[in-house]
Parts: sequence; C-alpha cells; structure tokens
Amino acid sequence: MSYPSEDNLRRWIAFLAALGVGVATYVAIAESGGGSPVCLAGGTGCATVAKSSYSHVAGVNIAIFGVIGYLLLLASAFFANDLVRFGGFLVSLGGFGYSVFLTYIEIFKIEAICQWCVASAVLMTLIFLLNATRLIAYGGNELQEAR
Amino acid sequence: MNDADRRTKMMQLASGAVFLAIVVVVALIVVSSSNSDSGGDAENIEGAAEVSRSLKGIPQNGMVLGDPGAPVEVAEFGDLQCPFCAAYAKEILPAIIETQVKNGEAKIDFRNFTIIGPQSLPAGAAALAAGEQGRGWNYVELFYKNQGAENSGYADDAFLEAVAEAAGVKDMAKWNKDRAKLTSKVEETTEEAQQLGFGGTPSFALKGPGAKELEPIDTPESSEALEEAIEGAG
Repeated sequence: MSYPSEDNLRRWIAFLAALGVGVATYVAIAESGGGSPVCLAGGTGCATVAKSSYSHVAGVNIAIFGVIGYLLLLASAFFANDLVRFGGFLVSLGGFGYSVFLTYIEIFKIEAICQWCVASAVLMTLIFLLNATRLIAYGGNELQEAR
Repeated sequence: MNDADRRTKMMQLASGAVFLAIVVVVALIVVSSSNSDSGGDAENIEGAAEVSRSLKGIPQNGMVLGDPGAPVEVAEFGDLQCPFCAAYAKEILPAIIETQVKNGEAKIDFRNFTIIGPQSLPAGAAALAAGEQGRGWNYVELFYKNQGAENSGYADDAFLEAVAEAAGVKDMAKWNKDRAKLTSKVEETTEEAQQLGFGGTPSFALKGPGAKELEPIDTPESSEALEEAIEGAG
C-alpha cells in the first residue's frame, strides 16, 4: 500500500494543528472573562455549552487543554523520529477520544451544539487520522530521513 | 533493537493505546449517563433546547400557556418539587399541548399548590417571576426535567437561578425582584387549591365557555382522558 510522503503528512498536521491552536485559543479567551464564544448565525449553543459543567475539568477550562494539545501536535510536525511519531499519535488519540466524548455530551446531555467545538472535533479527527497514517507508514524507521 | 523489532513494539503499544482510549471514552459516557438521573444539579440544567422546541410558537401570558381567547381553561395545580407532577408533565401534558393548546381549543394555567416542603414556595415564586417575562412554562417544564429528590434541599437559590437562565429569562435582576414579591401569589393559589378540595398534586379544574367558576375534576390518568374532559367542557 502506498502512503503519502512523511513530509506531506507533516505539512498537513502542521496546518491543521495551527488552525486548532487558533480555534482553542479563541474559545479560551472568549470564556476567560466568564463569557462564551460567539456562535455563527446567532445561535445560542455556544453559550449553553460554555456554561455547562463539562466546559471545565478540575476547574480548568478544557479549551486550555486544547491549546496545549494542538501546540504539542504542531511541534510534532517539525521533527521526524519515532518519539514524535508515537507522541503525536498518542496526543491526537487522546484529543480524538475526548472529542468523541464531548460531542456525545453536546448532543445527548447539554442538547446544544457549539460550532467551535464541532470545528475542533473535525480538526482533531483529521489530525488523528494523519498521525495514525504517519505511525503506520513510517514508525520504526528511526534512521530514515524525512521524505 | 533493529527497525523491524522497534516497529513491532510500537505497533503493539499503539494498539494498546487505542484499546485503552476506547475503554476510557466508553466509561466516561456510561458514567455521565448514569449521573443524569440524579437531577437537582444547578451546574447541569438539561433539556433547555427540548423545552424551548416543544413550546415554540405557543403564546405565554404569565403562567397561562395557549391562546388567551381559548374557550376552555385548564387550571393545573402543581408543586414543582412533586415527582408525580414531573411525570405528568413528561407523559400526559405534551399530547394536549401539541393538539388542543396549539390549535386554540384550550389554554393551561399553571398554579402553585405547595404541598411537598419549604422549598416549594420559593420555587413556585421563581416560576411566576419567569412568567412575568413570558418564560413561565419554560421554567416549570425545565424544573421538572431537572427535578431532584423530594425535599433533599436541591431547590436552593443557585438551582432556581440556573433554571431561570436556562429557561431563557432575559432580565435576571427583574426576575430576582419579582420572585420576592410573588411568594404571596403562591400562597394564594395554594389556598385556592385547598378551597377547591384538592389533597394532592397535580390536580385539575376546568372552566368551559360561559362557566363562571373552575370545576374540579379527578386527575385524568391519560392524555386521552384529559382530552375528553377538555372536549366535554368546551
């Protein structure tokens, strides 16, 4: 099976992770003063989601974890060795799993959809798929130069 | 370790991590689902969107839901802390609201009949204050959806406020002022229910066109029975 070159995978991971940093930073700043992100098209889903208890873990806004996660993923795109391939895979797996949980919570518990959360979930899913491809295609090639 | 060994090891670790992630996500979902039944949690008011959808487009005046000119008035005497009222609101009333209220045959007036405990009074006043801003029924239905165990102390100020916000009350300062004033109204309707001879909640009384006073009825045990009672009064 032929895979995209690792260089291309890394470029896409960097691009999507940079977008993710932007989305998570916006949400973190918007919520920092007790406010909420502005929903496009005037919906109220973002305010409802931001006010729910699920928006914080141990008192910390989950958008902060998002910023950290996306920064780690962005950094992982700048190196090509097994440590970052595996690390990038683990971080994106965690992010993807948590996005699945949050999407479930939005639909079935809070009953409100925040477009920023959906955007982040889509980005994280794509980054996870790219990192999984990167690990499967190039994992174990410690000495291989990036192509 | 050569490349092939390292690769095998990494794939094993990655498979383990994927398995672990699946277990953790499923566990989180199961735990959050089982928490939903506890109710009375000011941090997690649930069902606001659903309530808003079900009441959309129906006029609300004070605690009266439906066309003010509807020929039949249904007075529901309820206590927000009462689990039977919550069950009634979930299982029996929606069919009536969807048909006879929406098509203008009947209007439903929610009146407080506080019988459960001390927190029923401020809870009832909180609903009336939401009614002052056209959100009375959103408040009642949302309260029922998030109801906690009877007299467990959950219906404190934080809970009442959280329900008001989720119900879409716009002016919270006004709501706070109004609810302080409206406790006497809750006491009045409670007295009215006693005068009508009711001993429990929810209780119902109907007033058809031309009737001067509310006529108490036995609490209908199904949507069909309530529908028939409304048709009989109309």
